[in-house]
Amino acid sequence: MTATHPALAKGDTVPALPTYSAAYQPQGVDERGLWMEMDEAERAMRDSIAVINDPKLIQYVREVVCRTVGEDRCRTVRVYIVRDASFNASMAPNGMMLVNTGLLLRARDEAELASVLGHEFAHFELRHSLTGFKQRRTAGDIFAWAGVAAMGAYRYGGTGAYQAMRTAQSVQIGAVRSVYSNSREQERQADLLSMAYLRTSPYDPHCFSRIWNRLMDEADATAHGRKQRSTRYDRVSFFATHPTDLERASYLRTIADGMNKTGEDDADRYRTALAPWRSQMLADQIKLNDFEGTDYLLKGLAGDIWTAPLLYARGELYRTRGNPRDLIAAASFYRAAISQDPANAEAYRGMGLAQMRSRDPGAVETLNTYLKMKPDAPDRAMISTLLQ
Amino acid sequence: MKRMAFPIAVALMATMAAPVQAGNKLIAKQQKVAVAKSALTVMPDREWNKMGARPGRNSETWTIDGDGLNDVTFYGGIENDRTLFREVSKKTKPLPHFSSTMLLTDLPSLFENSYTIALDTQLMTIDAVEPTTFLGAKGIKFSFTFTRAGEEVRRKGEASAAIVGGKLYMITFEAPDVYYYARDLPAYRAIVSTATLGTRGPK
Amino acid sequence: MLRGLYALVLVFGLLLSCAEPAASQEKSGTKEGFVLKEKSAKILLIRPTIKVGAQSTGGMFEPNADWTVQAKENLGAALAVAQGKLGNEVIVAEEPIGAAAAKMADYRALFSVLADSVIRYQFFPGNRLPSKKRKGVFDWTMGPGVADIATGTGADYALFIFTEDQYGSTGRKILQLFAAMAYVSVKSGEHAGYAGLVDLRTGDLVWLNADQAMGGDVRTPEGAQKRIGQLLEDFPGSVPKPGSAKTAAK
Repeated sequence: MTATHPALAKGDTVPALPTYSAAYQPQGVDERGLWMEMDEAERAMRDSIAVINDPKLIQYVREVVCRTVGEDRCRTVRVYIVRDASFNASMAPNGMMLVNTGLLLRARDEAELASVLGHEFAHFELRHSLTGFKQRRTAGDIFAWAGVAAMGAYRYGGTGAYQAMRTAQSVQIGAVRSVYSNSREQERQADLLSMAYLRTSPYDPHCFSRIWNRLMDEADATAHGRKQRSTRYDRVSFFATHPTDLERASYLRTIADGMNKTGEDDADRYRTALAPWRSQMLADQIKLNDFEGTDYLLKGLAGDIWTAPLLYARGELYRTRGNPRDLIAAASFYRAAISQDPANAEAYRGMGLAQMRSRDPGAVETLNTYLKMKPDAPDRAMISTLLQ
Repeated sequence: MKRMAFPIAVALMATMAAPVQAGNKLIAKQQKVAVAKSALTVMPDREWNKMGARPGRNSETWTIDGDGLNDVTFYGGIENDRTLFREVSKKTKPLPHFSSTMLLTDLPSLFENSYTIALDTQLMTIDAVEPTTFLGAKGIKFSFTFTRAGEEVRRKGEASAAIVGGKLYMITFEAPDVYYYARDLPAYRAIVSTATLGTRGPK
Repeated sequence: MLRGLYALVLVFGLLLSCAEPAASQEKSGTKEGFVLKEKSAKILLIRPTIKVGAQSTGGMFEPNADWTVQAKENLGAALAVAQGKLGNEVIVAEEPIGAAAAKMADYRALFSVLADSVIRYQFFPGNRLPSKKRKGVFDWTMGPGVADIATGTGADYALFIFTEDQYGSTGRKILQLFAAMAYVSVKSGEHAGYAGLVDLRTGDLVWLNADQAMGGDVRTPEGAQKRIGQLLEDFPGSVPKPGSAKTAAK
């Protein structure tokens, strides 16, 4: 394997944004085949319970796309938010854009989300999913589509109960499966084009390299927690044919520097828009059985300020791993969550269960408090049994 | 999993050169039988088939029409720090481990997360949870719903579990929601109601 | 619920079964005592599930719209002719909408799982369930609720058809089976076809043709005719025969 070189070479210039022609019709056998599958998948998607049916959130994400690529381009984009804890976003050749909740959880601000979605749109504009599809040799996005389409046929009795769709892939795999699922050349083209979008957008172009860096760090944490070598620099596996994340992050930053453009990150607006969903997304993440990756992610989300939901999530994470020291730590996280948000019944539940597992006699009082606060708890009978 | 598979596969090839004696065995009704290579003993009220291949070391699966249509799985004493069943890939999809210190309320999550991680099971949920008596001990009964990856069949399930002597004992049932779940749930529950940790009976 | 070794057993069994003479691999079954007299019944033809694509050496299933459209046209035409030979009146099921569509989807999905189970646990000699091995037994059902998809049609039976073709496949498929610890779903065959007749009064599967190595290139009219011919081979109404299950003569 020859030494890899960055996909973007020195001297590559970000192009001027080409005029956008109207949505194209598929040409040729392969493209039609893909579109057909996509159209059927989209029909299933619309009714799928794997999709978050929150018009406000969908509208918000769509607006971010429009602010990034411009009105002309975003006109035919349909956004679907998929409840999936892995970091991923994809765009089908018929204009259907899927955004995983795992991505929404990891983006720090609107600019970061914009950079990833813009990148996906670039692949779409350049009609990469088709050519990448032809070249790809590993289980790629098409299987993900098929899986999602299958779920479209699935109906639950009740409405309003959004069920988790977890691929249970670690962030490591998620990163590989995401916007890196194209050839080196396609990544280069998409990078350039997406930087072109960012240049004309209100956003700070540095956002792109920032999120990739954190993604790599999280993958490192996951690998470390699993006592594995990080695959960041692994030339033999997935990254053999793609630009390594580190190089990518570096040249993206270089390009951004070269643009001499400042911009907004709209972090507050982003946090507000995502607030109703954050607890759910955190709960989905914890189910992945990726302790260190999740802990890294939580610390990153907190920064200097641990909010009650983040403390609760951390409590859940530690309690789930459940080693003796974890249970003590978990109880302290829950306690901190309660001190910030005394009405958080779930935190009492978590703390009580952690205490009980540690054989801490304080468990009884804590769990009784939980039951008083939440008389209609679905596991009331079970918790009561524990107290007997 | 791929790397592990080949030596086993070669061994299987050798055994299968002759006409195959399937590993599936008939389980007669109204007879006590020990399952999952453990002291867990049950007495079915109807005939079942025991599948030759096991999900893991201390587990065993019974079926009437095939595990895609009805599946009763016995977990006979999963020990501390063990997974519920064999991991496909420890590296990319490590499964959660059972711990003897777990509370009964931790078991549904253990089960749910194991399924979603190992089977790429989508849309798995735990629907209801309630206390029960199982194997003469305080236990937990829970129901769940899921769909397997690549399939469009909605599946429902029920499980009863208890921790005895620091080990996990559990009997689960799953079947397509259309027809099979409702039809075979009574036969499953009949099995569970007879479950004991007796001395090892005849296999 | 999941069995890695089991998947291996199935794979090698399937491999070996290709080398075995066809006679020892049962491909169809009929419910004991089932007889379908000519002109005696109304059959509801459920929209067939037709999937056609290519499989790269890398193992990816590439859906191919042209091929699938061709296959749907050809198979549809062949079926229209063949159904006239079923000896009974055939009604083509309308495409339902709303809640009825979900129910139809549920049953079409269940059919695939059911047919797959019949192959694994009754037809395939490598892994039969003891209760399915007994002479004359063909005891499979969709459940009586299946009648709901035929309300208002007056049909006595429903005919389900499923075909999936992946052209240009290689041994890569086998590796995919190894990778799947779960109950291996219907995608294990490269040219898989199932045709099943369900009694709408009871939900019982009264007849099934199931093969995971079918012939006929469904992209051509001749191939589609051959495929339909194979799928409906020994259809109870069309070829008078005693209604006993064919046990593998060994």
